[in-house]
Amino acid sequence: MAGKIKTCVSLYSLQDEYLNKRMSLGDIMHFVKDNNAEGIEILPDQMLKGSPDISDDVLAEWNRLIAETGLTPVITDVFLNTNLYKNRKLTKKECIDLLIKEIKLANKLGVHLIRLVSMIPYWVLKPLLPYCEKYDVAIALEVHAGMAFDNPETQKFIDEMKSLNSKYVGLVIDTGIFCKKFPRVVANYETAMGTSPEIFNYVASLFEKGTDLHRVLIENNFAFPPELEKAIKTERDRMFAHLCDGYENYPYEVLDEYMPYIKHFHFKLFEMTEEGPEYSIDYKGLLKYLHEHNYDGYVSTEYEGNRFRLPGKPMIEKEQVAKHLAYVKQCLEEIQK
Amino acid sequence: MFDNNVFKENTCANIEEAGKIIGYELQTNITYYRGIPLSMVDYIKINEDGKEVPVENIIISIDREDWFTLHEAETVTTYKWEYGEPLYIRVLKQGGLSKGTHKIKLTVAVRTAYIPVPLEGIKEREVVIN
Repeated sequence: MAGKIKTCVSLYSLQDEYLNKRMSLGDIMHFVKDNNAEGIEILPDQMLKGSPDISDDVLAEWNRLIAETGLTPVITDVFLNTNLYKNRKLTKKECIDLLIKEIKLANKLGVHLIRLVSMIPYWVLKPLLPYCEKYDVAIALEVHAGMAFDNPETQKFIDEMKSLNSKYVGLVIDTGIFCKKFPRVVANYETAMGTSPEIFNYVASLFEKGTDLHRVLIENNFAFPPELEKAIKTERDRMFAHLCDGYENYPYEVLDEYMPYIKHFHFKLFEMTEEGPEYSIDYKGLLKYLHEHNYDGYVSTEYEGNRFRLPGKPMIEKEQVAKHLAYVKQCLEEIQK
Repeated sequence: MFDNNVFKENTCANIEEAGKIIGYELQTNITYYRGIPLSMVDYIKINEDGKEVPVENIIISIDREDWFTLHEAETVTTYKWEYGEPLYIRVLKQGGLSKGTHKIKLTVAVRTAYIPVPLEGIKEREVVIN
């Protein structure tokens, strides 16, 4: 029988607090603990200096904070700098060597799972598998809106994952693929920056019809449909219209086939509204689905509304994270009685 | 998207070495949400009172000890520009900025892991030199 779904916070959620030195890593970890999350997710490149070659001091501080807070270090978010150099792409060997360093780092940090960023090529898996086994660290590709199940690179990874069939290879799902409404914080921010509101009226209307721009573009051979062309007035509009395909409106059932491979979830948070639920994503519905499908991993709050703060408005990362965590906990208590 | 990270406030000042003003310096945070090796800085542009500063007059450093031209920085992979730490940018120019108010516009772009175009941020500030 499956265990319980557990809460987690991606420290990505508090990146502005960290960048502007209002909070240190220690402050952030204590904040997460004080809000009763069970686990944390960290981008080593964001908050652990020198990653992946961290110093003994950085490691000692990490170990101290983990002991002090009692938080479970669930997962590290890993990137692959294939464009490290301006004049060429990294070779396969160089890519694999970089990822081996990340596996060793995860092991040092007491972490047993790595999120590989979307578009990491499938051919890293076979050569990395012996290292995953040796260091007891699983690697899981992020399935992110705009680069999700229909994406050829994601599909190749999934095929390789299925053929390897190892507990050390899996997927991380970013719930930006389950937007029921286009995030209004994105629309408000981009409109304030000069993008025509007609673009968002059109995109929002697609979500109301149960679809999204990504799907519409596929159905339209990647050309903008006439309604969107009509809404585009400037170059900026055209550029931003392309980015609107990074929010998708899949039914939960798309996960049926992949549940055995799913290691972790990014609970993407655009905006907790006054009334409580998240503006775009029905987390109660999703948690019910996950519970019914025996998921018992972590669901990690990943606040991204910080990117869309309007000029002159305060940063509300802490408030948003606390509200989302409380909501997820309340849903879990109800669902997992 | 990362414009707010660019050109930290109150960081632009002339730099004096051995009794001479050799140019001016400013600081910026990264236009990304994680640290990267210096080689992944794609380009930096400085516009001084409406004029582009020649690229060869710009040098950068993460520690104010070791400085690289933008061309040299293309191969610098062991110095990491950390998230939350400034990049120091100097414009080499005898006499630096003259007394008075200047408009300095900084453009910073870095290559990222999965986004096909470099992430650019731009910020213009009024700088007063006393």
